[in-house]
Amino acid sequence: MLIGFVVNPVAGMGGAVGLKGTDGAVEEAKLRGAVPVSPGRARILLSLIVPGVHTFLTAGGPMGESLLAENGHPADVVYVPDGTETTGEDTRKACQVFTDRGCDLILFCGGDGTARDVFAVVGDTIPLLGVPSGVKMYSGIFAATPAAAADCVNRLEEAVMTDAEVMDIDESAYRDGRLAVTLTGIARSPALTGHLPSSKWATDAMHEGRAQAEIARFIIDIMRRDTLYLIGAGSTTAAVIQALGEDGTLLGIDAVFDGDIIARDLNEEGILHLLNRYPRVQAVVSPIGAQGFVLGRGTQQFSPAVVERIGPENFIVIATEAKLSRTPALYLDAGNPEISSKFPDSLQVICGYAMARRMPLIQ
Amino acid sequence: METKYILDENDLPRQWYNIQADLPVPLSPSYNPQTKEPIGPEDLAPIFASELIRQEVSTERYIDIPSEVRDILTLWRPSPLYRARRLEKLLKTPAKIFYKYEGVSPPGSHKPNTAIAQAYYNMKDGIERIATETGAGQWGSSLAFATQLFDMECKVYMVRGSYDQKPYRKMMMQCWGAECIASPSKETNAGRAMLEKDPDTSGSLGMAISEAVEDAASHANTNYSLGSVLNHVCLHQSVIGLETLEQLKMAGEETADVVIGCAGGGSNFAGLAFPFMRERIAGRMPDCQFIATEPSACPTLTKGLYAYDFGDVSGYTPIMQMYTLGHGFVPPSIHAGGLRYHGMAPLVSILHHEGLIDAVSCHQNEVFAAAVAFCRSEGIIVAPESAHAIKTVMDVAEECRRTGEEKTIVFNCSGHGHFDLSSYEAYFAGALPDYEYPADLIAASLKDLPKIQ
Repeated sequence: MLIGFVVNPVAGMGGAVGLKGTDGAVEEAKLRGAVPVSPGRARILLSLIVPGVHTFLTAGGPMGESLLAENGHPADVVYVPDGTETTGEDTRKACQVFTDRGCDLILFCGGDGTARDVFAVVGDTIPLLGVPSGVKMYSGIFAATPAAAADCVNRLEEAVMTDAEVMDIDESAYRDGRLAVTLTGIARSPALTGHLPSSKWATDAMHEGRAQAEIARFIIDIMRRDTLYLIGAGSTTAAVIQALGEDGTLLGIDAVFDGDIIARDLNEEGILHLLNRYPRVQAVVSPIGAQGFVLGRGTQQFSPAVVERIGPENFIVIATEAKLSRTPALYLDAGNPEISSKFPDSLQVICGYAMARRMPLIQ
Repeated sequence: METKYILDENDLPRQWYNIQADLPVPLSPSYNPQTKEPIGPEDLAPIFASELIRQEVSTERYIDIPSEVRDILTLWRPSPLYRARRLEKLLKTPAKIFYKYEGVSPPGSHKPNTAIAQAYYNMKDGIERIATETGAGQWGSSLAFATQLFDMECKVYMVRGSYDQKPYRKMMMQCWGAECIASPSKETNAGRAMLEKDPDTSGSLGMAISEAVEDAASHANTNYSLGSVLNHVCLHQSVIGLETLEQLKMAGEETADVVIGCAGGGSNFAGLAFPFMRERIAGRMPDCQFIATEPSACPTLTKGLYAYDFGDVSGYTPIMQMYTLGHGFVPPSIHAGGLRYHGMAPLVSILHHEGLIDAVSCHQNEVFAAAVAFCRSEGIIVAPESAHAIKTVMDVAEECRRTGEEKTIVFNCSGHGHFDLSSYEAYFAGALPDYEYPADLIAASLKDLPKIQ
């Protein structure tokens, strides 16, 4: 396969020196004595990828060329950055060339900022796989470790293509101690399901769209006519709306009553308004991002006040098998420890028609 | 100290035990899927042998086992009863654990106990070919084994998920001369309709039954055969419990305190339990407890409704009153533990409904943990289905350790797991998800059950 490989050489520098991110703070990080993180991560990755299986395109110098050569992987350098200090613009330009050259996968080393740059160019047209090397890795396109990313690249033929969220973090707010994570898009990313290839068990999970449709069919079958459903965000919840015959808001929360969408892309205020009108409410949510956050990352509309009004017992969590294979545990941050503590230690996650998996929930 | 109790070939039961004679309340009638009228022998005649139809509705307490059938059963019967002393030691339990091992049959499970009888009665009726379904392949291989002994052809519709996962079961069927194809197939109307609806479906037992029934109904020389659920299947399996009662006496045990079996369609549980149930109903074992264990992924008895439902997806089979998850229910193909049928034998169902049988459900990782503990103490690598029973046995035995009770526990170790090693491999790799049935959300999913009256 043809793989576009790009490294953000300064990713992760801000973390060790307390900057909580490197975007717009490279000089400050250097002054504080930070050393690059991503080249080391990239070396681990490349040392574990079997040479000669895939063909690589890359960017010049520290953005991939030297690291690939060092590890014995021939590559075609398709973009060369202008200066010695690379920027997000260089990442975007390199990815544009990868896209134009018809890459099957873009493999990148960086953090959420790099993910955002790559996604801004590629969208969901080419699968993305991130090697975690940044300060923050909330996006769902990151493998757990460089070794896990290498394993996925080596076994790409067995991988399942999953929908994965790309998250945007407000870094200046983050440095001030506030976590503001928004969901910016849904990329495609390869995942090994963990099932043994010899057993061919991955068959059912091979088709993410089919798996989402089965979940959606079940949710629609159990919907009650007297209940308001708040549904979102992400591609799995969007499939529920689609199964009702309507277009949902991929990155937001829609409201359904008696089979009809009655409100789209709701904010907190809009949800609270509906909660005043409808006594019976259930929320249908899906884990988001690399850590599998059920609440608290990317769905700020489910504010502490909203979560408290809905009640922990009225959250229906849905996710495909492939998605769950990337997230061995689910996480929750309801924005208020008292409300979070009302959720149980494990959640039933609907993963098919009339089928669920029991998953641990970490707060 | 004896480890196993072996009966002589001459002690193989000469009659099956029919629990319909002793039910506290009679079974409700089954209904014709088309007319919705109570079913009669003429409704079943197109696809079942006449004697099997008679046995299905019989209330005679004992029914003779034909000598030709007994002759074949002696290839492996009477099967051994073991005292699981090493498991007892592992669990440090004062309980006495006995297991009836049905994995000694040529196909490796209890299934040929009824396959031989069904093939025989069909042969007597001049039937030349039998169509059937199979899930994991235990039943398909058993019927393949049985039919070739009577020079009959056998066509097996195997659930696609298993067909892809378990190639050795297919080869066993081939060895015994049967034709095995993946279900849904393009060879039947039912299969084509299901493929049109969902070309990538992994199939289900309910789908495969529809195909086999259609095959039998559309070929004059062909009958249908079902490996579980039906009354005559439970009848044929009663040899398990009848032998066990005698073997327990050899071990110095006059009664059992707990009888345990796994339950998918219900026949292996019934085979061991019903002769013991006879003793309980007659007052000879008044305190004997019965526990059926099922997977959390397909918890028919513990989470299903007691209702009228079809036995298959397409609605070709009689409508029976039983515990059901709905005939459209398809368990995940990557659930490794077997026992995937959406319904439950009406005889097991009615006894559960009357409070005579308890039921528990287990997640598959804890089931495989029990299986590994068993093979590392008793040596036998069991079928995942049987491992469900072992999980419950271990729970009961551990409770005995806490209470100090010296209960006599008997369970049916219904088959070996030599063709299920990929499931064990997945367990060791940590790749078995713990599936469960979302019972609290589900009530609405049973809304399309057929309406009777």
